Amino acid sequence: MIRLALPKGRNLGPALAAFRAAGLALDGVERDRRLKVRIGDDLEALLLKDWDLPLYVEHGIADLGVVGSDVLEEVDGDLLVPVRLTDGRSRMSLIGRQRRLPESGEQVRLATKYPRTARRILDSRSWGAEVLTLSGSIELAPILDLAELALDIVQTGRTLRDNRLEELEVVRQVAPCLVVNRAAYQKHRRRLNAFIDRLEQAGVVS
Amino acid sequence: MKISASLPTGVAGLFFDGARRRRRLEERLVRRLEEDGFSEVILPVIDYLDPYEEMLSAGSREELYRLIDRDGAVLVLRADFTPMLARLIAPRLGSLPKPLKLFYRGDVLRYREERAGRPRELYQLGAEILGAGGGAGERLALRQLLAVLDACGGGAIVVLGFAGALDQLILACAGRASPLEVMQALVRRERSVARRCHRALLEVVERGVPADPSALGEGAAAELARLEALRDELAVAFPRLELKIDLAEFADQARQETLYRQLGGRAYYDGLVFRAFGRASARPLGGGGRYDRLFEKLEAETTAAGFCIDLDALVELAGERGEEGS
Repeated sequence: MIRLALPKGRNLGPALAAFRAAGLALDGVERDRRLKVRIGDDLEALLLKDWDLPLYVEHGIADLGVVGSDVLEEVDGDLLVPVRLTDGRSRMSLIGRQRRLPESGEQVRLATKYPRTARRILDSRSWGAEVLTLSGSIELAPILDLAELALDIVQTGRTLRDNRLEELEVVRQVAPCLVVNRAAYQKHRRRLNAFIDRLEQAGVVS
Repeated sequence: MKISASLPTGVAGLFFDGARRRRRLEERLVRRLEEDGFSEVILPVIDYLDPYEEMLSAGSREELYRLIDRDGAVLVLRADFTPMLARLIAPRLGSLPKPLKLFYRGDVLRYREERAGRPRELYQLGAEILGAGGGAGERLALRQLLAVLDACGGGAIVVLGFAGALDQLILACAGRASPLEVMQALVRRERSVARRCHRALLEVVERGVPADPSALGEGAAAELARLEALRDELAVAFPRLELKIDLAEFADQARQETLYRQLGGRAYYDGLVFRAFGRASARPLGGGGRYDRLFEKLEAETTAAGFCIDLDALVELAGERGEEGS
């Protein structure tokens, strides 16, 4: 049996659409109140929070799953990433109220839920920042002067416009990724490859 | 005063049955290694950082626990046995009889991000074979690992490859992607990068080997044929284990000088490489391979190969297979 981890949140829709296009209909899974849902004889789906999903796949509790590249970079697990979904893509950007990035030598505060990624980005800057780790509503930090900058996901940019925030720089392109456990790949290689082939043929991954 | 029983993240105490199970399995495996002519070495848990600086990858550097001694020396807690063993044995290697068969056991400590189920203290058992002629040492190391896994009831997948197998294909990608980017993408099985570079690399990512081995280059194709013969021979000897050749798994173990430099001279293996996983638990069990280059760095000329296993993962495997008491 193969166990598939599905992400709650913004990546669930694109994941279900991609799987449907590849002939795997999981519609209704998101409304099911059970934590594990059996689909047919040899597939089980789990609905997990984005931040927990890589852990379940890395430990082999789930064989594969879908998770955003933003989370993947932050948690740094040993996972295979054969393909990325074409739908549900977004960007990770530096956001602020002022229309400029800090100047060389300037020290600011930067609010984010991606502290490791933020530190990697800051390594190559001539300005410095104290990283404030928050768990949500990141855009609120520059609005309320908790921090001068925020590092967060931007999808349409509407929240920024509504709150008079500026997207100062796109630092990463973000995509939902299909992730696979290293041992599970060896164990189910033929079936997993056949599934990835179907996703590719449907044109829903790259 | 009430004293807390909590421990730092990533470590655990073993009591009663848990402790008994580990010790029982350890004793069985140690007895087996001794019967096969291996001698035990006992290594310290603290060492200087300085001698290992050149051997550390960025990843392994981040995992080190460092401390400053009272005299100002930078010390590290043991994170790996093999480099320490190599450093200590290299100066007197010339005077010792060959092949030299050694084994060790004990804890290694590695800092890992604080997340559930990520141990920072691992109890390992491993063996090294030094100075065996030609490829005899690497074959013996693999056989010993397979014997250990078989003694735990089988139920493991062992992935085989060899360092440098994809070097020629990776070098041929120059201009489309950086060699480092390609190596990392292959290890993660990223199809888009493999597809952009070479059809044979895509086949390796999907199936483990290219459809036409000659795409690897003459030397690597011949080495792959020898590996296939070895796999077939070992599959007969160990029918309870699943042996697979997968060159993508070890794509970052470069042998070619340019690629080796791209990795900062820190690719560990330079011959046969192998890695074992539990079939039911999907848990990494251990691995090993040939690493002559490590001794070259220490200015000692010898063949060197070995394996290392995570004993607690093995206890779990043996438990699943009902082989703990045998």
